[in-house]
Order: sequence, then C-alpha cells, then structure tokens
Amino acid sequence: MALEDYRGDMEMCCRCSLCKFMPVERIKGYHHVNGCPSIARYNFHAYSGGGRLNIAVAMLQERLDFSDKLLEVVYNCQMCGACDVSCKYVMDMEVLEPLNELRIKCVEDGRTIPALDHLMKRLRKQGAMVPGSRAGRGKWAHGLDVKAWAAQKTEVLYHAGCRSSFDKELWSVARATVTLLQKAGVDVGIAGEQESCCGGRAYQMGYKADFLRQARCNIEAFEKYGVRTLVTGCADCYHAFKVLYDKFGMKGDLEVLHTAEYFDRLITEGRLKLVHEVAAKVTYHDPCRLGRLGEPYICREGSEVPGQVRIFDPPRDYRRGTHGVYDPPRAVLKSIPGLELLEMDRIKEYAWCCGAGGGVKEANDEFAQWTARQRIGEAESTGAQAIVTACPGCEQNFRDALKGSGSGLRVYDLVEVLEKATQEGGCSSCL
Amino acid sequence: MSLEKEVYRAFEDVVGPENISEDPAILDAYAWVGKSAGAKRPVMPGDEKKDVATFVFAPRFQAVILPKDTLEVQAIVKTCNRRGVKVRAFSTGWVGGNVPGSSHVVLLDLRRMNRILEINEKNMYAVVEPYVIAAQLQAELMKKGLNCNVNGGGAHTSALPLAAFWGTGHMGQSTSNGERNLLAVEWVTPEGEIVRLGSSGSSNEWFCGDGPGPSLRGIIRGATTPLGGMGVYTKAATKVYHWPGPPVFPVEGVSPHYGPGAMPPCFMIRYFSFPSFEKLDEAQCKIGESRIAFELMGFPMSMIAANMATSNEEEISTFERLRTQVQGPGFIVIIAGNSQGDFEYKKRVLERITRETDGKSLEIMEDPKIGGAQLWRFIRISASVRETMRAAGGHFGIFPGHSQFLSITRFTRKVAEMKGELQRKGLLVDDGADAFPWTEEHGYIAHAEVLFRFAPSHESIVGIQGLRKDSVELALHEPVGVPFFATGDQLHDVFGPVSSNYHLWLRKIKKAFDPSGTADSAGYITARD
Amino acid sequence: MIEDELVKILGADGVARERAAREAYSADMSFAHSIMPDCVARPRNAEEIAKIVKLANLTLTPLVPVSSGPPHFRGDTVPGMGGTVIVDLRGMKSIVRVDRQNKTALCEPGTTFAELLPAVEKEGLRLNMPLLPRRSKSVVGSLLEREPVTMPGYHWDIADPLACVEVVFGTGDLFRTGSAAGPGTLEDQWARGLAPNYAEGPSQASLHRVIQGAQGTMGIVTWASMRCELLPELEEPFMAGSPRLDTLLDLVHWLIRLRLVDECFIVNNTNLAVIMAATRPDDFHELKSALPRWILFFTIAGYTYMPEERVDYQTRDMMDLSRRVAVAPAKTMAGIPASELLKKVRRPSDEPYWKLRREGGCQDICFLTLYDKLPGLVAAMDDRADAGGCPSSHLGVYLQPLVQGSTCHCEFNLFYDRESARESDRIRDLVGIATRDLMAGGAFFSRPYGENAKIIMNGDAATSAALAKVKAIFDPNNIMNPGKLCF
Repeated sequence: MALEDYRGDMEMCCRCSLCKFMPVERIKGYHHVNGCPSIARYNFHAYSGGGRLNIAVAMLQERLDFSDKLLEVVYNCQMCGACDVSCKYVMDMEVLEPLNELRIKCVEDGRTIPALDHLMKRLRKQGAMVPGSRAGRGKWAHGLDVKAWAAQKTEVLYHAGCRSSFDKELWSVARATVTLLQKAGVDVGIAGEQESCCGGRAYQMGYKADFLRQARCNIEAFEKYGVRTLVTGCADCYHAFKVLYDKFGMKGDLEVLHTAEYFDRLITEGRLKLVHEVAAKVTYHDPCRLGRLGEPYICREGSEVPGQVRIFDPPRDYRRGTHGVYDPPRAVLKSIPGLELLEMDRIKEYAWCCGAGGGVKEANDEFAQWTARQRIGEAESTGAQAIVTACPGCEQNFRDALKGSGSGLRVYDLVEVLEKATQEGGCSSCL
Repeated sequence: MSLEKEVYRAFEDVVGPENISEDPAILDAYAWVGKSAGAKRPVMPGDEKKDVATFVFAPRFQAVILPKDTLEVQAIVKTCNRRGVKVRAFSTGWVGGNVPGSSHVVLLDLRRMNRILEINEKNMYAVVEPYVIAAQLQAELMKKGLNCNVNGGGAHTSALPLAAFWGTGHMGQSTSNGERNLLAVEWVTPEGEIVRLGSSGSSNEWFCGDGPGPSLRGIIRGATTPLGGMGVYTKAATKVYHWPGPPVFPVEGVSPHYGPGAMPPCFMIRYFSFPSFEKLDEAQCKIGESRIAFELMGFPMSMIAANMATSNEEEISTFERLRTQVQGPGFIVIIAGNSQGDFEYKKRVLERITRETDGKSLEIMEDPKIGGAQLWRFIRISASVRETMRAAGGHFGIFPGHSQFLSITRFTRKVAEMKGELQRKGLLVDDGADAFPWTEEHGYIAHAEVLFRFAPSHESIVGIQGLRKDSVELALHEPVGVPFFATGDQLHDVFGPVSSNYHLWLRKIKKAFDPSGTADSAGYITARD
Repeated sequence: MIEDELVKILGADGVARERAAREAYSADMSFAHSIMPDCVARPRNAEEIAKIVKLANLTLTPLVPVSSGPPHFRGDTVPGMGGTVIVDLRGMKSIVRVDRQNKTALCEPGTTFAELLPAVEKEGLRLNMPLLPRRSKSVVGSLLEREPVTMPGYHWDIADPLACVEVVFGTGDLFRTGSAAGPGTLEDQWARGLAPNYAEGPSQASLHRVIQGAQGTMGIVTWASMRCELLPELEEPFMAGSPRLDTLLDLVHWLIRLRLVDECFIVNNTNLAVIMAATRPDDFHELKSALPRWILFFTIAGYTYMPEERVDYQTRDMMDLSRRVAVAPAKTMAGIPASELLKKVRRPSDEPYWKLRREGGCQDICFLTLYDKLPGLVAAMDDRADAGGCPSSHLGVYLQPLVQGSTCHCEFNLFYDRESARESDRIRDLVGIATRDLMAGGAFFSRPYGENAKIIMNGDAATSAALAKVKAIFDPNNIMNPGKLCF
C-alpha cells in the first residue's frame, strides 16, 4: 500500500476533532480528556491525526510540499493510535495507516530526521534499535539456566527485545520472565545474541525497507529453529510480530503472545501459584501496541462499491481497538493477593500514550517526557503508589520522566510485580 | 498572500513564536473543509471539469495564532485593526466551521483557552472558555447533579453557547438552546474593546447577560451566531439544568460498543412511530405541553440506524431491518424522573399520549442494553458524526430555523420531498426522505432540519445547489421565518427586504462595531452601503 | 410649532396641549426632576407613530413613550428635557390575538393586565405575570421593562415572556422582531399557521433584547406578543415561613430545579401584611407580627393529563424537600389561606395599589443577584435603612427567583409619606446611598432608573460605550427619551 491508496480514507476527514480526545462517551470529568499527545502539546490542528491526514491530502494534490515544519509535524507523533480509535468510533476510515504511509513516503523521498537515520544505521549494523553490539545482546541472560534456541527446540521462544537486552535496568524483568516461565513448567528458550530486532519501531518511523529486512531475517530464523510460539514482554515487539508480520504475509502460523497474556493463561491453568501478598495500590498503564494496537491484523481487502455510501466488497472490517489486550494484564494484577488496582481515567483502547513511541523518544525526548509526565500526573491522581505496565519502552520513559521530579511514584513491569507474588519468603509490603 | 514581516512579528510579540505560524503545512490543516465543501461553495463555470476532491480545501489564509487569554485576543485584534488584517476565531471547527472566507485573514485558534471558570450549583450556571468541549462540562456538571445543553453537533464541540451556528441540541426539550441559555459574556469586539455583558461587567458575576439597560446579547448574536463576524467571545456563562442521573454515567464496554451495564433508575428511552405525520405532530405537541420529556427528537429511522450501527454496512442492514418495524415517521423520547413518583407519572402520561395518537413502540429500543446505549449516546451526543459523515463524507442540511412547529414541519417535509428526488437520481445517500423536527422548551419552540449525505461529484453538487436554491424560493414563498441558512451578504439581501429589512440593521450594527471590517464577515454580513 | 404638525397627523383630539394634561406627565412618584412636556400626542396606530417619530427627527423633538396609566414610579416617563412630546399609547388597547395552539397573545401597548387576563383565560391560558401590577399597568410596558414574573419555572430567558414586538425605531423605521419579522405581514403569517412566538432573530441579531430595558430610548413599540402558559386544571398553593432567609432559599432552589412549582416567590412579613391587609385594613400590625419574617409562596399544579396524580406526587416530593430543610409548608399562615393569596397573585393589585397603601408613597430598590448574596445584601440594606432613620422593620422585601433559578430579583420597598418633605428627603438619600452600598456588595442593577441610573451605568463603562453605538444606530438624533440611562 502507498499513501495514495489511502486517499479515499483521508478525504473522509470531516474535522470533527474527535481524534484529539478520548471517546467522548467515556469522558468523566474536565481532566484527562485528551487522547492525542501531539496536539495536546503543540496545539496547532496540524498536529492532530486529522490534521496530518489533511496535510497528506494536500501533498497528494500537490498543494503542499515537504518542509522542515511538515517533517516536524509528521515526526512529532508517537504513532500511538489514539486518534485512530477515536475516529473509528464514528467513522469507517483509516487514520494511523495513512499516517504511517506518510512517514514511509518521507523516508522514500529522503526526508528524514537525523536522529532516526542514526537509529537505522545502528539497526543495520547491530540488529538493534538501541546502543549495544550484536555480540552483547544475550548478556542479560548470563547465569540463567535457559535453553538456547540454536541448541535445542523448545515449546516457547522468549524474545527479550532490544531494550530489555541492552538496558541493564530492564535485565531483571527479562530474567524474571524466564524464571517465572520455568517455574510454571514452560519449556522456554531464548535466542540470546542471535536475537535480532523485530523491526517494528523502524516501521513506525517510516523505514519500511529496514523493517522488511528485519522481518525476513527473523522469520527465516524462526523457521530454521522451529519456533511455533513466541512470547515477548515488549509491546512494540508484540505488535511487530503479531500485526506487522501478518500484514506483510510473513507471520504464518507463529503464535505470538505477550507475557501478560501468557502469564494470565498460566495462572488460570494453575501452573503459576501466587502465594505471597503484595500489599500495594497500583495503577496499570496500557501500552499502545499491546492495547489498542495489539489486536490481530485485518487484511485490507475489498474494492469500493460504486454508489453513495462508502462500502466495500467484500465488506471491509476495521481494527477499532476492540480486541486489544486489556483484560489479561488486569487479570494478572487482580490475581495478586493484597494488590489493589486503581484505574486511571484513560485506559484500554483510550489510554494515554507513555510518550516513547514513533521515534519521539529518540528524536524529541523533551516531548516524550512531557507526554510521560501527563501520564504520571494521571497515575498519581488515582492515589496509586506505583504505575505498572507491560512494555520496556513505557517503563524507560516513565523512569526518565520521574527522575528529578520529586514524585514518589514508582514504575514496575507487570512481571516484576508478579515475581514478588511468587517469591519464596517474599514480604507483604515490597512495592 | 503572506503577512508582512513586521505584522507577523507584531503578532509574535503577543503570543510568542511557538504560538503563531504561517507555514503552509500548518495552514492547510486549518484550510481543510472536507467533502462537504462542494455543497457550500457556489457552482462555478468550469466546475464540471474539475476534480471535486480538490474542493476540500478553502483558500489558504495568512496565519494561525493561538492566544492563551482574553488580553492576548485583545492585543491581536487591536493589531489587526491597526494593520488592516482581518481576523476570525475558531474552536473545534467541525464541518469546516469558521474556516475563513478569504485568504486575507488570520485565524485565532482558541484551543489554549479551555478552562471551566465556575460552576455555580445554587444559581445553576457554568462559565467556560471557548475550547471547553461539551463532554467536559457535562461530565463535571453531572458530578453535581447538573446537566447542560449539548449542541447537536456533539459533545466534542465547544460548550460555549456562542461557538456553534445556532446551538440547538438533542436535549432541547428540557435544556433549551444556546441563544436562550446564554447568560453573561466576555466579548472582544472587532475593534479590540473588551465588553463584559450584564452582571459580568457590573458586578463581576456571571449570572445575567442583560443590562444594565438594554441587552447587548441582542447585538452579539441572534437566532444564529455571527460566525466570527462580530469579534471574539472569550468567556460565556450558560444556564445549566438538573440531572437526575448518576454522577458518573456507568458506561461499559470497549469501542465501538459502549453502553451502560444497566439502565439507570428512573430513565426510559423509546422510539415511537406513528401512522401519519399528523399523529406524530399531535403526539409531539401533547408531550411538549405535558412537560414530561427530558428529550424529544423527531429522528428519522435512518438517523437512528446510523447512530446505532458501528459501520456503514451495519447501518444499511439495520436501516433495512428497522424500517420494516415502524409504521411511519417517529421520534425518540427520553423520560427521566426526578423521583420515583415523577418517573411513574411521566411514563403513564407518555403511555396515554402515544395510545391516543396510535404510536407504536420500536421493540429494539425497549431492550435495556441497546436502549441504554442509545440513551447515553443521545445524552452525551456522541454519534452525530455517524449520523452525518460516515456514510459518504459529504453532508449538508437545510435548516429553516425556529418557528411554529406545525408550519416548520410542513416546510421541511416539502424540502424532504425535494431531497427524495435527488435520492432517486442517485445523487444523495438514499436514507428515506424524512425531515427531522423537534421541539424545545417543552414544545414552545420548534426547530427542524433536513439532512443530506452525499458522495461528492459534480452532479451531486449541482443537485444540492439546485435544492438549496429551491429551498430559498420555498422559504420566500411559503415562509416560516428567516431561515437559519441565511448568512452572508447574498442571502441576507434576499431575505432582508421581505423581513423587516433586518439586513439593513445588521449592516449598521456591523459598521458601528467593526468600522474597519476587521472581523471576517464571510458568514455574517458586511457593512457595505 | 410641532403641535400643529402633530394635529395634522393625529387630528385635534389626538393632541393635548392644555396644562392639566401636560402636568400629569411632568412628574411621577420618583424623585425625577419635574419637567413639563410640550404636549401629549395620542396616536392610534403604528402608521401614526411612525409619522410622529419622523417628524420628531426633522425637528429634533424629544419623545417619551408612555403606555401605562398613572401613577408612574420610575422616572422613565418624565421628560428629561424641555420641548418634549409625550407619546401616550394608552389608547391603543387592541387585544389583537390570543392563540391557544401556540400559547401566545398579542396586544397593543395600552392594554392592561386587567384587560388582557380575561381574554387569555377564555382560551385556557394565563400570563406569567409580575407580582400584583397596578391596575393601570400596561402589559407591553411590563414586558419591555423586563419586570420579574412570578413563575420562574416558565422563565427560560430573562426576556420572557416577551416574544416579538413591532417597533418604530428612533429613525422612524418600522421593524418586527423574532419570527414576526417575516417574510410576509403578520396576517400573511397567520394565514400560513405561523405565530409570533419565537423571540430571537431574525437571523444574526435579536433586537427585542435591545428594545427591552431601554426605557423607550430606542423606539416605540406598537404591539408585543408574549408567551402564555396553560391554565391548570388543579392547583394547590402553599406557604412556608422561616425566620431564616437562607433556609427558604435552599428550598426555593430545589423546588425550581426539580420543576415542581409554578408561582414561587418570597416576601417578608411587611409586604405580605401590606398585600393581605387590603382585605383586613385594621389588621396590618397584628398580621405582620403574627407572620414569620420570611414567607415563601408557591403553587403546585396539574394539567391535562391526570392532574390529581401530578399534584399528589409533586406535593409528596415537595414535602420531602421541605423536611430536609426543616420547613413546613402549609395551606394557611397566620390565618391567611394560601388560596387567598393565590387569588390576588393572579390578578393586578386591588386599588389602592398595594405599594401605596401604607404611607401613600413608595420607592423601590431593585436588582438581580445570586442566592448566596441575598442574606448579606438584605442585612446591608437593613443596616443602611436603620442608619438612615428609616427603620428596617418597615421595609418591604420581595424576592423573585428568575430564569429558572439562575438569578434572583431582589426588591426593597421603602414605604413613606410623600407629603412629608423631610421623609421624602430621607428616603431619597437612603435610596442613593443604599444603591451604592448594594452595588459594592454585588447587587446587579440591571434596570437602572432615575437619579441613580448614571451611577449604575458609569459602573460599566464598556457596556455604556457599546450601548452608545447601539443608540446611534436606532436613534441617531437622540430623540427617544434623551437623558435616560447613559444617553
């Protein structure tokens, strides 16, 4: 698909401004009503989902050409999909897809952001989107008694992801994941230094060719090592393997699960016992690519039926955020004795983005942290002591935003909290 | 045509560099009008050769500015006066609302002016800035057992009762409309003076918009607003009403399937259809006089189907199914009881009236889950976009305005027949040729609309423009008052001479308050002699 | 001379030049400075009015329209300068139309409440009336003054119950407001089933709002239409008393908010005794001392559908609310049946006009304010009255919730002996000082009259400047009642 293929969708924009807000039926008060971090921060209509569609149409009509400001508008967006969900509550049209195509067009036309180009160079060289060498990718697992996929086939492959592999602060999450899976009797293996970036974030940033290259490499490797089930704790990776690979016809029969889903399954099946109380008040942050964007890919098929009403044959279904992964992480948290889950105002399909996605963390960290601070304020307003999430990207950005803020709010991965509930001799006030 | 550098700098001095832009990428997003544009612009020679898709943009204007408060608005307007630049205010901007009519204009995007300033529960009013959306205000009011009128455009539009074109909404039966809910106002005139109307100017309170002496509310708007032609309204107070429902409406589900888990106590929603227009009208009049309805809207079945359905395909099948279950035209009615006794009484009266008028209840609406979801959508007004834009992208309406109920329904039903002709030619979405009438203030005021949805083509645009012209003729020869769609010099010059020459007074008002023509008048009137 | 030209328009009978006739308009019950008009013109229709106004423009003759009969109280009908012609509209008394279906009535400016009420009642309608207007009070005059009305639940907008007007602006141009503007004449509109029931517009201005509150400074109204309400099938009046005003205001807020009541207002014991003592002329003091300080009066009504049931459940709901604030509404108070008060409230005042019964004179201080401010403002007025040598216990107080409870009209009635120069001076001073005090305390004088109008208008310079522009549009030669408000 190219940008032009979404012209029909983009021209449907009626500038209702719903893309700027969470779904209005869900609004419970004055605060926490914005859905889109970009326009919340920058205010000009161009920074909304609808605004970017308008700009894209202007480009297709050759009314508008590339400019620094245009790139600024295009790239100051976390690609979080909140606009897409809000719009699709009332409209049958794509929003996020054409925004992604707009970025792809920018890259194809050589209109990029230096910070993101730099990321791609690293990806091409080291197979990672973060600083670190290919050889060091598996260091997080040193000392762990875990099977390596190259050596033996396993039931499940745990994919740590770039961030968890190279950020020492996140190693504990990856290690805890493996440990808990083993505790639950799961036959799990890892790729270690052979693991390579899923490529998902490259796609978000518009680097389609780089994404496809990563995807092909990964799928080849999965086939070579007989991977049937992949579990990851990173929402970006989850989205890439489950949705993007499927979009490009590469996923095949690979079962992709997030740790939240898998641990929920294991708890329900009684394979993981939560024996220790974790007395704390927490709130849960839905990562965009696990939540509203985590639902299965729907093939965009069907040609428009001539006539007044915009319908397709066969009928076109839309990913509206309905089937995102919302309940499993909540079920996990609710099954932890002593833990009280306090919901924020913006949750599930209308959750506020952590701020890190779409290349924003790399290209405009100030905006990424601004976004995170909004979420931290929202979390604090619930009375929670900690914000729990299920994506290392979210965790990193929240931690960065909390540094020096004076806030007492703590950030945990879901797996960290789960680990505390399974620890032998764990104490009841450990959060 | 760009602003002169020093003019740009003058504006930048007021708001800071990050709050002004003349970059085409920024401006084009504001110049977007969308697929409805073709219905609004006159058909020009050579249009048949043009790609109608190119009509989605209005001319690119000069700059957009984001003021943060009234003083910045004032400074900008004064600068505009001094420098001969036109200005127009803008909030959420639905359906190309308030896009400047020409290129020599700066747009004020009031997005940063978004505070709820006061909710006075005892005196039942709220004070808002222009970018508070109705959902925010309504949600905060509901916590206190209060409610507000929400524009029919939806809860994502401004809560300021001067932002929308006229300000009627679904709950008008019990919550009136924007013109009559308006209390005190803070107004930056086209010359850059700050005038606070009523009690806000005299005693710094917001409960009254009239006086001392004559009321300037009569100048700043009429049945319709001046659409930017009389300066900028920076704060306004609106009357609010009692809300008998829960402080937070218990919405469950995941998009697009929202609805309450259970119907809240003392609420009921029904859709009644009637064997004839006469019976429908009789029922509406009786319900109005008996003052039992929280909401009463003469939605045609097509709008109900659009509101309920989560996709176009589903809308088509829902419409086909539901239209076989009704006996004729109908309305939505919501009953809300302030007590159990109140609720029971209102239900019994409704039952009597609908029995007297042979009304038939639509079964699907009696289902608590479906009815509950509809109820919330008609209170929060969250699905107007489904009803208007989703089908084809283009939307237009003929709005005769407020008038006597039976006359206005007669007028709109004639327009609906014209709509039917265009539908038969395949130029509009075929959703039944029904008008959409309702009463406000328990039947005292009536309003009606005929809405069209269309996929733009040269033929559909010509057809719509023709219908528009015919509606003007109908409004002149079988009039029901000056129609709401009469804006701009051309139409005012048509209706004014047969309506007490109101256009001449409007011109004088414009001249008196905007001698330099600073406020963009594309949707209002110019001061020309 | 202008009188001669007027005779050509109106005929000799239509122009009064004799001193006695002119003297009647040279002063009123207010402290407005007495100025003799040149003559009194008595037009019969809009065409004649338009000719008068055009003539006045040519000759720059000030005009003062008058629609009510004496006594006048506010000074707005007293000429502000010499050479004024009074345009007396009292002869225009036609009740043009009462329309049950659209619940409107349309009448000329000389029609009084006493004349209009039977006409609307014949159609099963009633008016949302001010409290006990004097018998000579013009309905149109009352509407144009934005006088407070006794049924706040039907008062959706401060302009209500006024709907449309036909006006001759100060330019001499005829104009109809709202849905009456056209297209077509009124007769054309009626023939098509339309009604002059919608006040706003036409189009992007609502000029009825500019004409209201203008004290005749924008033009002369030739007719007005108004909203009417249904006559109830059944109604139950109640009174509730309390020594505490805030308690009653709490109850009032909920009664109106939940749309339980029709008539609803509060008076103090002085005013209620004055009103009811007409039938008990020697009982004023006894009555007053038997009454609680504050009395809330309201009615609950039933209409077409199951009126008894409606009254029943609304009475139950009302009682629930009353219990919450420890107030006990009753059907009588101090021997006064609520039904007797209701009968009075539905009619103009008996003669003598109730405000003049005590002492022969009365000055009103009227403003709008918030409920929460009322107790403080009442206390401030009491203090000022006591300090001014006019015992606060003699003050009448009338509180009328308006616009469905979003504001409250507060009226202090200062009864005094007009014949006593000393008392008159004292009252005059008190009114001036109290007005300033009350303004400082948050009172909004939305209808400024007489001597204090300038202070009130000067308190909002921006509005006055804007109104000056409006005036210049509708009365560029400032012939309409010059010297009033800020003009």
